[in-house]
Amino acid sequence: MKRLIIVGYGFLGKRLARVLEKYGREELVLAGVANSRGYVYSDQGLRPGELEDDLSRHAKFRERPPIEMVENSDADIAVVLTPTNIRTGEPGVTYIRTALARDMDVVTADKGPLVVAFKELVSEAESRRLYLCYEATVGGGIPIFSLARQYFRRDNILSIRGILNGTTNYILSRMHFEGLPLDLALVEAQRLGLAERDPTLDLEGIDTACKIVILANALMGMDKRLSDVKVAGITRITSEAMMAAKEMGMTIKLIGRIEDGELTVAPRLIKLNHPLCVHGTLNAIQFRTGLMGELTLIGEGAGASTLASLVSDIDWILRMREEL
Amino acid sequence: MTLGLTDRPGSLLAALESIAVNGGNIISIVHSRDSITGGYVPVSISVEFPSHESVEGARRGIEERGIPVLSLESLERRIETMMVLGYLPVEELRSAFRGRGEVISLTVGGGSVAPYMRVVFSVGVADRQRLLQDLGLLASERGCLLVLEES
Repeated sequence: MKRLIIVGYGFLGKRLARVLEKYGREELVLAGVANSRGYVYSDQGLRPGELEDDLSRHAKFRERPPIEMVENSDADIAVVLTPTNIRTGEPGVTYIRTALARDMDVVTADKGPLVVAFKELVSEAESRRLYLCYEATVGGGIPIFSLARQYFRRDNILSIRGILNGTTNYILSRMHFEGLPLDLALVEAQRLGLAERDPTLDLEGIDTACKIVILANALMGMDKRLSDVKVAGITRITSEAMMAAKEMGMTIKLIGRIEDGELTVAPRLIKLNHPLCVHGTLNAIQFRTGLMGELTLIGEGAGASTLASLVSDIDWILRMREEL
Repeated sequence: MTLGLTDRPGSLLAALESIAVNGGNIISIVHSRDSITGGYVPVSISVEFPSHESVEGARRGIEERGIPVLSLESLERRIETMMVLGYLPVEELRSAFRGRGEVISLTVGGGSVAPYMRVVFSVGVADRQRLLQDLGLLASERGCLLVLEES
């Protein structure tokens, strides 16, 4: 039996906890859950259905620093779902470092630690023969890293480009199809819960840049940081400019790109029949490889689909541990 | 392209087959029998190809048949669309194209609040990167955002 703990009990954490209840207990148990104020932990595993949305109402809730759960638990897998801080990577970096130091495999959806300390964390995991999986950090539910792990082992990825931010893609799609100005499309996205109250990271292209850094480091053997990405966001796109693009059978999309060693994020004109031209909250990513040529993947880039990536990572770790 | 053919029957035909299977349309063939060097007769062939890939395919096919490609000059041009968001004087934009590309159509809009230019242009493949670099520099100097077309 494997024990799993979740650090971060927000949208994803709560949904993941419910999915884990469906695993057979001989295979995997959810042993602990932490939010920013404390944690609930049981070596025998928490019973299905016993976790409420408000963690502090649980009888075993301990109002203690959540790192205590990672430091003292006997878990095999830590799922780190902390809020993203792209400057420091914290608090995710500390949780991941601690979990690795405690010989836990790690699954994370937090981009911050990977943007700030990718090489360090991957090297630490490798040196300890542990798995550090981060499928959920890029492209939501699109199986990017697991596909690359299986499919591109003997192939050489020459370039990657894609639409990697569902929020900006939704806004640009509304501007294209309805002629909305950017500020109204943004308000609409916020009402639908697709955009943060402070949407700066999305609109300025920083979120896409973070994903590009992770892709470059994970799939193309680079050692890039956020400061290496040339970034332009979508804030200057007007509805008039969008209509001018539409007249030409095109639209404007925010595209992240890794090509010839350079990392860029910029709004680009794109033909409506281009394979990368997806709308709404969809993401699309295209690889150009030495053997395969071009391969394009399309899928939901955020929300519940990210859950599929977390579950896939957990399953992969369980399978690999079984095979050892 | 200029090929180095040996003075043997059939060698030109072998080269032409590679061009034909890659969709090349032959415009002219010039034999330079006066310029035999190292046993090769330079033969200059002007061809229209449907794409850059087909040019490369023909080159590979010719070389695989043991015929050296002595030179390959591409006159390939691309037609692209770009947008300039912000105010950029039209003359400055046109001067960036001078000698390297041609503005096919230029549309200005957005008024004084959010001006933009939509430019359809043609550029030789060899000049493209330099042109885009210079346009990027110009846009940056003028505080504009250049939105290029995704290929």
